[in-house]
Amino acid sequence: MALIAHAQADALGALYDRYGRLVFSLALQIVGDHAAAEEITQDVFLRVWEKARTYRSEQGSVSTWLTSIARHRAIDVLRRQRSRPEHQGIDWALVSPEALPSINGPEVATEATLRRQQVQAALAQLPEEQRQVLALAYFRGYTHRQIAEALDQPLGTVKTRIRLAMQKLRQMLQEE
Amino acid sequence: MSKHTPFLERLPAYVLGCLEEDEAQEVSDHLAVCPACRAEWLAYQAVVGDLALAVPQTEPPAALKGRLMAHLSARPSPTTAATPSLPWWERLRRLLQGAAPLWAPVSLLLIVSLALLNLLLWQRLSRLERMALAPEMRIVALVGTEAAPEAHGIVVITGDGEYGSLIVEKLPPLSPEKQYQLWLIRDGQRTSGGVFSVTPEGYGVLEISSPRPLLEYSAFGITIEPAGGSPGPTGAKVLGGSL
Repeated sequence: MALIAHAQADALGALYDRYGRLVFSLALQIVGDHAAAEEITQDVFLRVWEKARTYRSEQGSVSTWLTSIARHRAIDVLRRQRSRPEHQGIDWALVSPEALPSINGPEVATEATLRRQQVQAALAQLPEEQRQVLALAYFRGYTHRQIAEALDQPLGTVKTRIRLAMQKLRQMLQEE
Repeated sequence: MSKHTPFLERLPAYVLGCLEEDEAQEVSDHLAVCPACRAEWLAYQAVVGDLALAVPQTEPPAALKGRLMAHLSARPSPTTAATPSLPWWERLRRLLQGAAPLWAPVSLLLIVSLALLNLLLWQRLSRLERMALAPEMRIVALVGTEAAPEAHGIVVITGDGEYGSLIVEKLPPLSPEKQYQLWLIRDGQRTSGGVFSVTPEGYGVLEISSPRPLLEYSAFGITIEPAGGSPGPTGAKVLGGSL
């Protein structure tokens, strides 16, 4: 990030090589449209180019920073479309915990791939109803109230499910 | 029940952005004064960051990187477009430092001229604000809090929201280990807009750094922080205003 802050275009290219797919995939999952996802991805990296000096490592990893920008941008695009998107079928890619390669095993997994599978396994362990409310908050940017309306569930139930889902994820992911 | 409990329970929803605005504001205000809850907030932020990793992966078109790099070459370099973090008077002092004593009278004249120019600009901006003669610019008035009742300032934002400057007056000068920090507030969350110091007279300017267009923020606040700034507000709020 320091190199990007000093206008090293190659450094931004390297950052794109590393995180471009992640940013594009997240944008695509939120807006559901390839052309819009491309535009959001380009916008995210151009913003990083201009704002790299505002990045603060103590507030989170580069990946968290990039995906936070991408998620907010994509949700803004979704809101501007003013259409009420279908909320069935939005979810993460899930794997069973048993499918995780052992760190000491023969499988060769990069650190990033292993982390992805750990997160997918943690999500797979959440009850379906918790993952559903989490997905509406994460991919649609809905508030508690909007989720309760979309699913026709009591507001208190939605609040509890969000809290429990996040607490459980935190616990599982910190244990890794 | 600990006084932190109501906030800790709302942190998971806060980091996901699914609290209503008033609830988010309460959490944000508490985070500004509670390091323990801020540590919890960072932990949940990391969880939200991890959630992106589990999204089904799709390779972007190969041409996208080429388009990105082409856009990049058409843009001004961020280092030339950016203002160095040092305040203008410090940059001026350093520029002139090596040339003294020959430059001393000239520099004094220059400083007086700049001060007069700044005063004229300040008056002009105030007049524009009153007469609303600059529809392409947005001007936000900042009002002093009890901690700095005489202080006031403005944030000037370009029409597209991409650039903005802060001008403050009558803020108490701070000891060297402290600086003022501007906070950009959106959905109750505060993002640093940069740190600055003021002259002995309490005058200061800052080119605002923002990860998003400035018009997307709803309010601005200034607090006293350790020199170099803090990840989140920790000190007394001295100025504030809403967009």
